[in-house]
Amino acid sequence: MKTKTILTSMLLFATLASVARARTKLVALPERDATIIRLDNPNATLIEEERVLTLQKGLNKVDFSWNAVSIDSDSIRLTVLDHPEQVKLLNVSYPPGEPALVWEIASDGDYAETVRISYLLSNIDRLVTYKAIADKAETQLDLKSYLVLRNFSGEDFDKARVLLDYGEAFEQGIDHEETKQMLFFKAPQVPITKVWTWDSATLPWDPEQLERQNIGIPVSYRILNDKDSRLGEFALSAGKARLFQDDGHDSTIFLGEDVTTLVPVGQKTELYIGDSRDIVVTQRKMKDARINLRKNDSGTIVLFDTDELITAKIENFKDTPATLTMIQHIPGQWEMKKCTMDGKKAQYTRKDAFTLEFEVQLPARNDDGPAVKELQMQYSRINVKP
Amino acid sequence: MKKIITFTTIFLLTGLSAAKVDLVTLPNRDTTQLTIYNSADLTLVRDGRSLTLKEGDNKLQFSWANTLIDPTSLSMLPKRDADKIDIADLTFPPRVQNLGLWTIDSQIGGSVPIEISYLTSGLSWRAFYMGTLTEDEKTMRLQGYVVVSNNSGEDYENAQTRLIVGQVHLLDQIAELARQQYPYGRPGQVPPPSPRSAPVRRAAGSEVMDGFVVMEAAIPMKKEIKKEGLSEYFLYTIEGTETIPNTWSKRLPSFDTDDIPVVNLYKFEEDRYGPAVIRYLSFKNDDEHELGETPIPGGMLKVYRTVDNARHLSYEGQSNFKYIPVGEEVELNLGAVSDVIVEPKLMDEKTDNYRFDNHGNVNGWDEIRTFELAIKNTRNLPVKIEIKRNFRPHTWTIKNIGEAKKYYEKVDLDTVKYTLTLEPESEQTIEYELTTYQGTRTEDWDRMQKQ
Repeated sequence: MKTKTILTSMLLFATLASVARARTKLVALPERDATIIRLDNPNATLIEEERVLTLQKGLNKVDFSWNAVSIDSDSIRLTVLDHPEQVKLLNVSYPPGEPALVWEIASDGDYAETVRISYLLSNIDRLVTYKAIADKAETQLDLKSYLVLRNFSGEDFDKARVLLDYGEAFEQGIDHEETKQMLFFKAPQVPITKVWTWDSATLPWDPEQLERQNIGIPVSYRILNDKDSRLGEFALSAGKARLFQDDGHDSTIFLGEDVTTLVPVGQKTELYIGDSRDIVVTQRKMKDARINLRKNDSGTIVLFDTDELITAKIENFKDTPATLTMIQHIPGQWEMKKCTMDGKKAQYTRKDAFTLEFEVQLPARNDDGPAVKELQMQYSRINVKP
Repeated sequence: MKKIITFTTIFLLTGLSAAKVDLVTLPNRDTTQLTIYNSADLTLVRDGRSLTLKEGDNKLQFSWANTLIDPTSLSMLPKRDADKIDIADLTFPPRVQNLGLWTIDSQIGGSVPIEISYLTSGLSWRAFYMGTLTEDEKTMRLQGYVVVSNNSGEDYENAQTRLIVGQVHLLDQIAELARQQYPYGRPGQVPPPSPRSAPVRRAAGSEVMDGFVVMEAAIPMKKEIKKEGLSEYFLYTIEGTETIPNTWSKRLPSFDTDDIPVVNLYKFEEDRYGPAVIRYLSFKNDDEHELGETPIPGGMLKVYRTVDNARHLSYEGQSNFKYIPVGEEVELNLGAVSDVIVEPKLMDEKTDNYRFDNHGNVNGWDEIRTFELAIKNTRNLPVKIEIKRNFRPHTWTIKNIGEAKKYYEKVDLDTVKYTLTLEPESEQTIEYELTTYQGTRTEDWDRMQKQ
């Protein structure tokens, strides 16, 4: 109760001349009516509240002050709802050294005027979190999203309409220092793609060199925010996602957690759940020679090309097939001379000037051991300066 | 030092015994399932309880003082009539810590089975192994154990215990989430840094718990551990249930396999190990080696050898090995030895093929060195040895002399490998001539690569 009633019982405090630590006073109005907490902007929370001002004909001064809550004073707006033509806000003044302002309102009659006061209130916000349970085959998941309201604004809201960027507004009270978690939406059977990614720039090339440590290959679930995925009605908010998997014994295991950024409709997100140690990549540089040497008059090499050979052995120790996304990097100007997977021409996508992406289909291991594929990249870097 | 540990133990026992997880209008747990991870300080707990609901709104209070529960992971699930029972929200009320209030909107009255699940820190498990070599070192008996430790602040009685092998991705440490003043923090708070690859620290007090391991080891229970693969993980389910009081540990046998054929492998690589020969024990996690049903979780292996018919043992060394997938070859590093010796000797050194620039200065030449690798096996057993040589700069060519050709393999652009098996108490020599190209002679080397 110590910080309760800041904005809600303003009049009470004003008339009783109480020295409450937290107070907001507004002359001549009882309680606030309809209050809306707008959480559609992740950076700031807008409060809209309606109050009935008892105005007299002529000039009215209305005092609005707030203690122990953080309101951006420049954000405070007053909107006259009943008689916008007859009731005019003339000016706003700020008393010195006080979190307060005084509105000067001109009225051409005596009115019980409903006004809407809106302001940006700090330390009240919402988080979105996700919880998903994947099926045993890892082809789809049941997605649940939770809304977490956090109110540390200094103000209690007994009853307010909470508005988000999408969906219906709902009624919810929330006290100061209270956190409330509620189900936001459910999406059953959302299709997922499981992705393994090996990036030559971030992962060690030779697992043998790390004899007491495994190289984990990051594993992610790819989710598309579209109709086919039983989603796609609105952007998915940024937030933390915890993933579980049905274990086939009427229980689940925890797979891992990640944060997603905002996913607009039609876009995808990838949630990194953990590392696979059952796919092993051993990459080696087998050749690095200079060709097409060009020299200056003193015989010094000023320009050359290279002839390089990289081999990568990919082993799948899993008893299921997998699709590995392999990312290779070649800096500068380059030309692929020969690129093969198990001796056959290999396809890759050029993601940008220096990045190549291979999709490697790995069968499951068999009785003889792991499924093995070998990538060979023979390329030239061109016009290299020493 | 001992006194401090004793004191800590007492403190832990008395300080945390007050810990309690309770749902006020509920009877105690009916069933409990623990799924414990070893790559992170993380356990998924599932409590089955019977809840007496009335029609309409029900409020349920759940508190977890003195435990290490992550409140943001709390979840409730009706196990029956799920369509008639709506878990409306979970509130963390102001100015009370470690307490949550569920609002349940029910269309039915009476007793309903529900499940409460959450993540907690403080429970952990690890694997360790004992290997016993036969006298001839051709086969090994491998015994695997798991040790489960509870330092969570909560006693778990008759809990179905499951262990997860795998590397899980976590953004926040559960122990840190458990310690937060407000479950989801405050607006504007900087979230804790994301530990993408930070090493996972064990819960404090694990040294204390190790003391209990030894005590518990005296009364092992023979229980089956069922193993199955799920996603990138392996799930070990211990038969029946376990009671693990807070601060206690329990050791359980995981597997016991006899007659695993092993290879005594010795490695020599100056750049990596210095002048010593390193002994490895090598086998494969597959059918032929009496293994291969599941991956083997990483852990410490202590290797012994049977030395006589009275089954006396000698201690051969220990190795902390990594996770071994099914079908992969394991090489267990048992440390440096002195009974297998490799001595590289430079036998000849010369330069040749000088090149000169326009001013008559030297700008290119070859350096030619002849090496002899003297290899000695002083053991009364045959050994396999792998010798790696690293050459820098990478502009080199090699001429293997005599037997060397048979054992030679190029590993990558600056590494070569010789692999050979030596009979008991024998010696062998490998000889090669290495030419490195310097200065403008590297251009000639480049040209040679084209051919």
